[in-house]
Amino acid sequence: MNEIVAFGKMLWGLIVFLEAGLLALLLYRKNHRKFPFFFTYVLIAFLQSVVLMVSYRLWAFSSSNAVRIGWGTQGIVILGRMLAVAEICRRVLGRYRGIWALAWRMLVGSAVLVLLYALAIAGFEWQLLALNADRGLELTITVVLVMLFLFAHYYELAMDPAVRSLAIGFFLYSCFAVLNDTILESWKYRYAPLWNLVGMLAYLASLLLWNWAVRKKQPEFTLEPALLSQCVYQALAPEINLRLKLLNEHLNRILCPEARRP
Amino acid sequence: MSLFFYLFSGLIGLLLILFLWSVRSTRRRVPPSTRAGVPDECGRRNMAYLPQIRQALAKTDYEFLSKRASREIVRRVRRERRSVALGYLAALRGDFQSLLRMARVIAALSPEVAAVHEFERLRLTAKFAWQYEMIRWKLLAGFAPGPRLDGLSDLVSGLSVRLETAMKELGERAAAAAELASSMNRRGLDVA
Repeated sequence: MNEIVAFGKMLWGLIVFLEAGLLALLLYRKNHRKFPFFFTYVLIAFLQSVVLMVSYRLWAFSSSNAVRIGWGTQGIVILGRMLAVAEICRRVLGRYRGIWALAWRMLVGSAVLVLLYALAIAGFEWQLLALNADRGLELTITVVLVMLFLFAHYYELAMDPAVRSLAIGFFLYSCFAVLNDTILESWKYRYAPLWNLVGMLAYLASLLLWNWAVRKKQPEFTLEPALLSQCVYQALAPEINLRLKLLNEHLNRILCPEARRP
Repeated sequence: MSLFFYLFSGLIGLLLILFLWSVRSTRRRVPPSTRAGVPDECGRRNMAYLPQIRQALAKTDYEFLSKRASREIVRRVRRERRSVALGYLAALRGDFQSLLRMARVIAALSPEVAAVHEFERLRLTAKFAWQYEMIRWKLLAGFAPGPRLDGLSDLVSGLSVRLETAMKELGERAAAAAELASSMNRRGLDVA
């Protein structure tokens, strides 16, 4: 147990160092202007680390004051993370006006649904409210990022390598956070030291990825693709769908020759 | 271990699979506007061979052969015809997919898209994939007769004609955008 605690302390030091490095890199490369919400998130996370460090010095690690400060600041950090993820979604899909209009509604809708689902399935247990809310929000981020990548895949949209790496970092951390929260809930305090450690390792991996992603100066802005006139879509989309429907009926007739023609 | 544990773990597993599947294909992708200039012959290439395919799958041909040739030859011809039907079906699917890709490019480059059309296309594409695989397996197993592929071809060719017009407009707009970008570059603006 002592080894885990010592290793955890070492990891924490490394995390604070990498957070500070990431902030410095963002400022030095002037990438904080291109990713303002991401920069704010890293800043909040860094400040949380400092606040927690001070609180653990003043009170014990498992004291009620330290726990309250820990979960309280965690709420702000998750909010920052959600805004940073929204910024990534905007950066990937925002250039495609039509797709973005469809995507943001779907992303917000699914985020609300997943959050409600996660809270409902947890049974609104007030003792575990912070944990359940944390898991719900992390699960929401995970789902939103999966949907973002599915959108990009389906519409074959180009994704900047840096933005892609940032998104992967967020996904990685949120995935681990959901699993960790679930394991912590099942095994309660027996797992607590290991929970902290695994969570820190996942965050460390994300930090390394983010540092690598913003190591270069990002382009000021990307040129919007030349959009087609609206009438092209209005004319073609229903026709394509109609032909697909006919094709499906045709395939159905091949599959079931005895079926009657409509 | 609670039920929640398995539920959330399963959910995360599913999300991980979906994520990995979609991540691998977003690497080194060309933006839609630069892809728009692809030749729009899709849907036509395989149509040129339709009369020969129809002839190869004709029932009368098969009956004529079974009366005059040995069983071994008949079997071989049947096998070859099946592979021809399968190849043709696959080629048509390829054409259809490229047309679908263009349809997605049009959606991506439209200032407004209708959710109804997008979801409908998604549903129909999934249904097509399912039915295509079923027919393919039936053909492989020797359960299905030579399918009526001519109707299939008509659908593809009709769609490609309309897409040609759209692609022409897309090409013109891409050229205009490139000219705008180069003029901005000349004025010293960073549009990298």
